[in-house]
Amino acid sequence: MTVTETPATPAPQSHRLTTAKAMADGIAEEMRRDPAVIYLGEDVGAYGGIFGSTTGLLDEFGPTRVLDTPISESAFIGLGIGAAVEGMRPIVELMFADFMGVCLDQIYNHMAKIHFESGGNVKVPMVLTTAVGGGYSDAAQHSQCLWGTFAHLPGMKVVVPSNPYDAKGLMISAIRDDNPVVYMFHKGVMGLAWMAKNPRASADVPDGAYTVEIGKAATARKGTDVTVVTLSLSVHHALDVAERLAPQGIDVEVIDLRSLVPLDREAILGSVARTGHLVVVDEDYLSFGLSGEVVATVTEHDPGMLRAAAVRVANPDTPVPYSRPLEQVVLPGPARIEAAIRKVLGG
Amino acid sequence: MTEVPFPPLSAEQPEAEGVLSTWFVDDGQHVDAGQTLAEVQVDKVAADVPAPVSGTVHLLVEEEAVVTQGRPIATID
Repeated sequence: MTVTETPATPAPQSHRLTTAKAMADGIAEEMRRDPAVIYLGEDVGAYGGIFGSTTGLLDEFGPTRVLDTPISESAFIGLGIGAAVEGMRPIVELMFADFMGVCLDQIYNHMAKIHFESGGNVKVPMVLTTAVGGGYSDAAQHSQCLWGTFAHLPGMKVVVPSNPYDAKGLMISAIRDDNPVVYMFHKGVMGLAWMAKNPRASADVPDGAYTVEIGKAATARKGTDVTVVTLSLSVHHALDVAERLAPQGIDVEVIDLRSLVPLDREAILGSVARTGHLVVVDEDYLSFGLSGEVVATVTEHDPGMLRAAAVRVANPDTPVPYSRPLEQVVLPGPARIEAAIRKVLGG
Repeated sequence: MTEVPFPPLSAEQPEAEGVLSTWFVDDGQHVDAGQTLAEVQVDKVAADVPAPVSGTVHLLVEEEAVVTQGRPIATID
């Protein structure tokens, strides 16, 4: 596990970037370094990605390396897999994770299994990028996280950055990885002008290439009383709650998983060993998913670590409503996180 | 001194108003020509505003401020 440190003064060789620009910056770094890296998907060229993930790439690299595809996810993800097994390093964008339903065979039967079924002789060094998450009234078919589903299916690494620094570093790591990596970015952390603004969605990011190791969680905030294990946009909600509770004498540690596969179980166990209290915040569905996996990680290791029953804050197994008041009830927002922290501490 | 205007994103409506979404530089900071100063938007069309010249930037509007196209958002000395 690594501790994320925010430098007091930005280094001269850094620039302030939104998460979206940091992601595009990481892609551009690798495309300059390696001609085998290409990007394809819907509206990734002239439009620059509907969530800003590819802004500027077409201008720099041209239409042979930044390809707009038809609305045919099975076909262009298959194209990416073919390119990858032939030695390229394609990045393929699935516009919304919700659309996995029309192309899942390519993802989990081909991208994720070719390495296994060829006895390790054929690699699929491909990145599948996809936008996730709700909070802006985009309803049940455009608001899901679904990272638990991708992580459940063997053969893919799964990374979920929460901030600009990790977005760039995890992108570069994902491109250089010889395994298929699913890179899931929450629309609410991208720093998009037309979405809810998040003050941590823009930050100073080092120029040039650097990597963030896949499979390593970060301590987003150190604390002694309770461990909140979370990821993606929920990291920001958890940090907001932690800052609000600190003056009341409740010291919250926030673990940003950053990767689901591999899962940094050591980081979870290390933190819970210190605090004895666990809250898991997951914007994905409650049942059969990440939140249960995190709790099982602790109880399978040593149930005696927990001084109170763990509490999970997640989507309560319902499609995400369009209605804003209803959506806010379903999502794991700050009020529900605070209530869970108070409950686990016996408050 | 060089003025940096809010870029014209709507050709049909020259008086259209937009929002200064994000500043990527601080007031008084040195900037290089071409460096991205800000992101602005009109409706859902967003655009980056690059520094036209190098120098010390002075920010004239706050983030989230509503600005009419063409009005200055910063100056560079």
